[in-house]
Amino acid sequence: MHNSFLRLEHVSFSYYSMLGEFMALSDINFNVEKGMFVALVGPSGCGKSTILSLICGLLKPVGGSITFYSEDFHAPRVGYMLQHDHLLEWRDVYHNIMLGLEISKNKTPENLAFVDELLEKYKLSDTKNKKPSALSGGMRQRIALIRTLAIRPDLLLLDEPFSALDYQTRLRVSGDVRDIIKSEEKTSILVTHDISEAVSMADVVIVLTKSPCSVKDIIPMEFEKNGIQRSEIRKSKLFQEYFDRIWRQIQDENTEM
Amino acid sequence: MKTRKCKKFKKSYSLIAAEETLGQQRYIRRRKMHKIYIFWSRIFIFAAFLILWQAASDLGWIDKFYFSSPTEIGALFLHDIQDRSLLSHIGITLFESGVSFLLILLFAMVIATFFWFYPSLGKMFEPFLIVLNSLPKSALAPLIIVWLGTGMRTIILCGMSVGIFGCILNLYQAFSQTDPERLKLIETLGGTKMQAFTKVVFPGNIPTFLSLSKVNIGLSLVGVIIGEFLAGRRGLGYLIIYGSQVFKLDMVILSITILCVIAMLIYGIINFLEKHYRA
Repeated sequence: MHNSFLRLEHVSFSYYSMLGEFMALSDINFNVEKGMFVALVGPSGCGKSTILSLICGLLKPVGGSITFYSEDFHAPRVGYMLQHDHLLEWRDVYHNIMLGLEISKNKTPENLAFVDELLEKYKLSDTKNKKPSALSGGMRQRIALIRTLAIRPDLLLLDEPFSALDYQTRLRVSGDVRDIIKSEEKTSILVTHDISEAVSMADVVIVLTKSPCSVKDIIPMEFEKNGIQRSEIRKSKLFQEYFDRIWRQIQDENTEM
Repeated sequence: MKTRKCKKFKKSYSLIAAEETLGQQRYIRRRKMHKIYIFWSRIFIFAAFLILWQAASDLGWIDKFYFSSPTEIGALFLHDIQDRSLLSHIGITLFESGVSFLLILLFAMVIATFFWFYPSLGKMFEPFLIVLNSLPKSALAPLIIVWLGTGMRTIILCGMSVGIFGCILNLYQAFSQTDPERLKLIETLGGTKMQAFTKVVFPGNIPTFLSLSKVNIGLSLVGVIIGEFLAGRRGLGYLIIYGSQVFKLDMVILSITILCVIAMLIYGIINFLEKHYRA
């Protein structure tokens, strides 16, 4: 694995409650290469978000190891995008984006210029002084992405970031977000229960099993190889094939229970 | 083409009526008339009450000695204003309420913040606060007098005692009900607990803080009046008690009227601040 960026080996995790131990993850193994967009799909409540929390360091694994490989030995910065945008309503868009830099006390001139550049590039400059309440759901989620990118993360974690949006907006924003992530060359992991979202956005889809969660299948999405344009993906036959394959795997999981 | 600025949404919107239709004009006129009607009706009710009261005491329907009359109270007001005694009583009451109000907010803020940082501390103290909060606070007043004597300190403490426990509880509850996802956001950005407090918990609860202020400024006035009843030598509460004991009932009613005006003014100020903050 020459280009490996993140590796999860035999990762397991349990939650404890008065009723006992609940094993959420058992023996998770997968690799994420640099610049890759990975999607995790699985039946709801299978522990997808827990994997992100572990990678982010919010939780510590009970067993196994999570390894980052970096060229220059700096600790990897991880950007986390949550289900809701959580823009703070008392701050305007610009100051919401600044939140991460404020917290890490990194409001250097370069970083400020970088934020301006991001806003400019993704045509969000005119929202700068608006309050989040004046923006649409799709717009807010884009701003949340810019807030996450402002800290220049090495790895982006997306936890069902589009599930609060309506279907139309969701298609549009998920396309935009993919484009932004790809043009910023970020390594990303998306958690979603929406198979078509995973297939259309990711380079690799990892199918997870239900409790305890483990890896069922790792499927590379080979649209480019088959000469299918990005914009045509959802209409292609290959898309349908991938969709059916993942659908069946998740269905198997549900019926086994 | 006509643009009508809507006063209510001064900053964010202006209602644009492409063509102000006749029906719309009539609608707007009717709304305005309704507002004017309500306003003058209120004035009328108040005036009618005063006139009826005056007439009743002049014509002997009620005993002037017990019920006084608006003109007598007005005359007393003018007289007491001129010899400045009234102003100092009002000032004292306002000062005591103001101080106890600010102290309530300060203590509640500090203690609730502490509880948020150390939730087990909050859990330990919660039942005690709940008991103290449900206690009728005027019961504490005699105890405070014995401890601190009769003076301003006692009265301020009485003022604080009414609102403080509830204020701490409410603020602590509001703090701990902050959306955990927002705290997670700060955590994923690498923030400390202190930063979670200053960036999310505190600014997110400013509306709570304002509405608690609204309640507590009234409560501190209540507490101060109780304190002045029992331990005051000056202030409106003292005037009420003194007036009732020497049967100067015009003095009692005057003081109550002034309290009404004070309450109204305070309510107006806080409403103004709240609106200002929301805009």
